[in-house]
Amino acid sequence: MKIIKTIIQIAVLYGIYFLGESIQSLLQIPIPGSIIGLLLLFTALAFHIVPVEWIEDGARLILTYLPLFFIPATVGVINYPDFLSWTGLLLVIIVIISTLATMAAAGWVSQFFQLRQSRKEAK
Amino acid sequence: MFAIFMIAFTIGVFVLMSRLYARLYNPLFVPVLTSTIIIASTLVIFQIPYESYMTGGKWIDSFLGPAVVALAYPMYRQRKEITKYMLPIMMGVLSGLFTALTTGFWFAKLVGVDRTFILTMVPKSLTTPVAIPVSAEIGGIPSMAIVFTMVAGFTGIVAGPLFLRLIGIKGALGMGMALGSASHALGTSKAFEYGQEPASMSSVAMSLSAVFGSVIGPLFVWLFHI
Repeated sequence: MKIIKTIIQIAVLYGIYFLGESIQSLLQIPIPGSIIGLLLLFTALAFHIVPVEWIEDGARLILTYLPLFFIPATVGVINYPDFLSWTGLLLVIIVIISTLATMAAAGWVSQFFQLRQSRKEAK
Repeated sequence: MFAIFMIAFTIGVFVLMSRLYARLYNPLFVPVLTSTIIIASTLVIFQIPYESYMTGGKWIDSFLGPAVVALAYPMYRQRKEITKYMLPIMMGVLSGLFTALTTGFWFAKLVGVDRTFILTMVPKSLTTPVAIPVSAEIGGIPSMAIVFTMVAGFTGIVAGPLFLRLIGIKGALGMGMALGSASHALGTSKAFEYGQEPASMSSVAMSLSAVFGSVIGPLFVWLFHI
């Protein structure tokens, strides 16, 4: 019974994903349907419009295999052999440095404001 | 038949690589990276076009959308933390987005690469489905944007853990913000290794970056007359 329940819950997640995709094509915005679906589901859960029990098991199962679902897309890199050139290599290095800088900025700034907030609460 | 074989091959390689990773626990061996390398090399060696691979691959790929939607679940579990730290979250996401947009642009300008490449690089920190239309809108090359987005994702996965330790980011909030802002959904998949809280924060960072980025990215290009 648990298996059937989990499959239905994954179908529900699919439904929300398609809803997000429909909203995206209707409004013609560059925000992907999956992100719209995520925000919709989060709002629905937070306001108890959708009880968490309806998606809990399905969400846990599908998230366990999250990295697997990226692979077909990442394998697509074979269509771009141009990156095996000097310019390609240079661009990749720039992306790596910029990504590290982004991690540092987002991490430091959020940590700084979190510590400041905790100190205020302590007073 | 070929499609089923490709599905089985992808899952098989992923399962094996996951076992290897569990044994070695070296960030260079993260399953999504090693599996991609093995599958991509196999396709190249046997001269199988990507389109043929995708007759099977698309079935696995079709789970990505609902899986991203499912990230709402860990976010819901951490909703109290998210509301409590709304200010640090917003500040972190905005600084991350600003840094991602400006540093890529500056470095590219510094070494003097072509304008089209610079524009293609701008949305790299955003999740692939955002990066493609944004790069198209601002005059970049969408198919190349996919590769940059992937490099940004793998950088977070492979270098993230050591790098964050080196620069003194220890908490779940800071780690999640860093991985989600810089490395989108791939970074979020890595954040799960550290637990529900960093994963939720990473999901929040990824979603907000996607929403803000789709607006700020084109605006940034327009403002700076790139």
